[in-house]
Amino acid sequence: MTKVALDRLLPEYVRTFAAYIPSKPDAELMKLYGCSRLFRLNNNENALGPPPAAQEVVRKYPPPRAAVYPSGDVYYLRHKLASLFGMDPDQFIVGNGANEVIGFVIKAFCEKGDNIITADKTFAVYEWMAQFSGFEPRLVPLRDYAFDEEAMLARIDARTKILFICNPNNPTGMYWSEERLRRFLDRINGRVIVVVDEAYCEFVEADDFPDGIALTTEYPNLVVFRTFSKMYALAGLRIGYLAGNPDVVNAIRRTCIVYSVNSVAQEAALAAVGDREHIARTRAMVREGKRFLMKELARLGLPLIMGEGNFVMIKLPMNDTLAYRKLMAEGVMVRTMTGFRFPNHIRVTVATMDAMQAFVQALRKVLES
Amino acid sequence: MNLPQVSLNVYPRLEFLPIATSFVEKASIAFGLAATEALALTLATEEVFTYLCGAAAAETEILITCRGHGYYVEEEIAFKTQEFDMRAFNLTSASSFDDDGCARETGLLIASRMVDLFRFAESGQRLCLTLVKEKAYPPFSGESTPQTKPLKEFAIRAPEPEELKALVSLTNSHYQHHLIPSSFCYPGKVVDMVAAGDYHAAVAVDARGVIGGGLVWRRESPKMVEFYGPYLFAQPAESTMAEALIDACLHDLARTNTLGLISRHPTPEIPANYFEPLGSLAFRQADGALLEVTACYRHLEEDLGSAVWADPRLESFLSREYHRLAFAREIRTVEDAGESSWPFSVLSAEFDRSQARVTLRPVWWGRDSSETVGCHVETLRREGLSCLLFEMDLGKAWETRFTPALLDSGFEPRLVIPYGGTGDIVVFEHTSDGSGS
Repeated sequence: MTKVALDRLLPEYVRTFAAYIPSKPDAELMKLYGCSRLFRLNNNENALGPPPAAQEVVRKYPPPRAAVYPSGDVYYLRHKLASLFGMDPDQFIVGNGANEVIGFVIKAFCEKGDNIITADKTFAVYEWMAQFSGFEPRLVPLRDYAFDEEAMLARIDARTKILFICNPNNPTGMYWSEERLRRFLDRINGRVIVVVDEAYCEFVEADDFPDGIALTTEYPNLVVFRTFSKMYALAGLRIGYLAGNPDVVNAIRRTCIVYSVNSVAQEAALAAVGDREHIARTRAMVREGKRFLMKELARLGLPLIMGEGNFVMIKLPMNDTLAYRKLMAEGVMVRTMTGFRFPNHIRVTVATMDAMQAFVQALRKVLES
Repeated sequence: MNLPQVSLNVYPRLEFLPIATSFVEKASIAFGLAATEALALTLATEEVFTYLCGAAAAETEILITCRGHGYYVEEEIAFKTQEFDMRAFNLTSASSFDDDGCARETGLLIASRMVDLFRFAESGQRLCLTLVKEKAYPPFSGESTPQTKPLKEFAIRAPEPEELKALVSLTNSHYQHHLIPSSFCYPGKVVDMVAAGDYHAAVAVDARGVIGGGLVWRRESPKMVEFYGPYLFAQPAESTMAEALIDACLHDLARTNTLGLISRHPTPEIPANYFEPLGSLAFRQADGALLEVTACYRHLEEDLGSAVWADPRLESFLSREYHRLAFAREIRTVEDAGESSWPFSVLSAEFDRSQARVTLRPVWWGRDSSETVGCHVETLRREGLSCLLFEMDLGKAWETRFTPALLDSGFEPRLVIPYGGTGDIVVFEHTSDGSGS
């Protein structure tokens, strides 16, 4: 059999890039780790599930419609978002999860020799997407667990095209207030695209948290990402979107893959968006879970890094990947933070009380072993 | 990184020997070796080539490739396996397969003495013999060691070349021989290794440039990184410098394809809560005495679990180790069911003469595995190599068939390196009294 000359065919930035290997299905992991039930506290999913109306959409989706292509540009959802935010439908692009729209933005603005700037300890996909597309990701250390605006500004040069800010930051939960974000955008003064990823914004209860989408009218270089995976619990359907100035969004649209969002996801998101009751219920669950974790982790003497969002980060007196393996054997799956450049930390999704209790109990056992 | 390289296609016939040796000598000099080192590599090539002329199928074309790596020249001698009897590559194999016993020296063994690293591997249908000859560097003199002091505040960063030499000097002055990589005997070499991207380093320095500590790491395999240190100089016991150095290394490795971080000779300052002990291996100290050193390991990702192959006699050791390290593994035992098998076995050997150590690895399993292992032990002991290791890849079922031969000839399983190869690697060490387990 002829060998494919991958060394020659692959660009170096792809050849040297490590593919992300996702977790095995729960059933396989349970079999391997010998546990009879598994609490998934690793992906910041909403343990309450999708809002009732979205669940109804999924339940009643007519199977024959699977044969028909979805709306190529997610027509109805964009109109619904436009009416909710008081904008034009063309100011939204919906993607197969927010991850896909990260790719749209990078493809639209970056060319050979360009760079993007983000933090070293944040959601990995901005860095990855730039790297395997052949662009330099410039990583700025966090300051006090939050994005450091001065350091980011200092790294901008003539080839910088996009700054990615995760607000609130995953995994630390720290956020930029509206005042801080405005000050930053003023100093950028339209020189580069500023992407603010608000994947967890619906969980935020702080009064001074900015509404990024509203700010796009004042700052045309601002692009905001949101997702239906977290608060709206549609992670399994993969749907997220970006919003921004019409000219900027129109430019990004040139690099979009249309028809990438399936019909069930579109309709479920349409039914879910803006469900205030669901948001209130989820926030109450997260508040209760955080209170419980604060108390229990203080008892265990473990430092807790807790900000906004449905997750907390915990510093352990041991290797986080060892803790992961031992917690898995107890039926609790958390996210290790070595890959996020927080060695010996784990990130835990704040979920229902039974899961939180199981986690604390398992963690206590792991620490005592 | 695209390395400069030159290649020669040649048939293993004695009339072509001058072409092969001349090619290697000139390439070595072009890649920066001095005349003495170039000659050593040339002589090693002569031994190997002559050996192949006797042992190989005469019409098997050989590809000789020389690559310049900055601080060393690597020569690769490759050819297809289909036309070649791999037994010839056992170090203990005499030029005639009809000879019995393992007392005779072979060209391969002689060649291994002339180079710094000698490795043989089989991959797919390709056999590859690798010879490495390093540039000569002035040894560490020990004459001027930089001043150091306890640092109240420090920053961790990559060192400049002069700082790197200072780190090497401080390390040689503060630490025992077995805790330092052999490259540290030559400060200039370490600088070149970092420049070549083979070593990575971090130092802890204060605002005035005083070095308080350092750490060095290198990629051992696509998934594994080995580190040396952390080295701390005159720092108080409560210092957080060791953790900061390890954090810098982990920061560098995050979001790469590295699965594990290992140290075979960690310093006492290693932050214990970052690592798990794997098991111990013997190291030769400066005075010649053997010292047991516990290797430590840190997995860098969430383990997805896997299946491993094992001989039933290794199952209890593996179960114990996997339980201790909390790795989810399905152990699948391999047993002889009377199926047909190849009569001969082949091992590869990697020499590290500075540590008097050789690592054997399976290339091919055959029914004579006990004799092959036994002969290797006898020959290598006679060579003065005190540390004999055998690495078995549990991701390859056939490799586990060497287990009975190893256990019966005095090897003991010492540690498991998760994902060290295709699957996990078990490292066996030969006990000097050959008692076995």
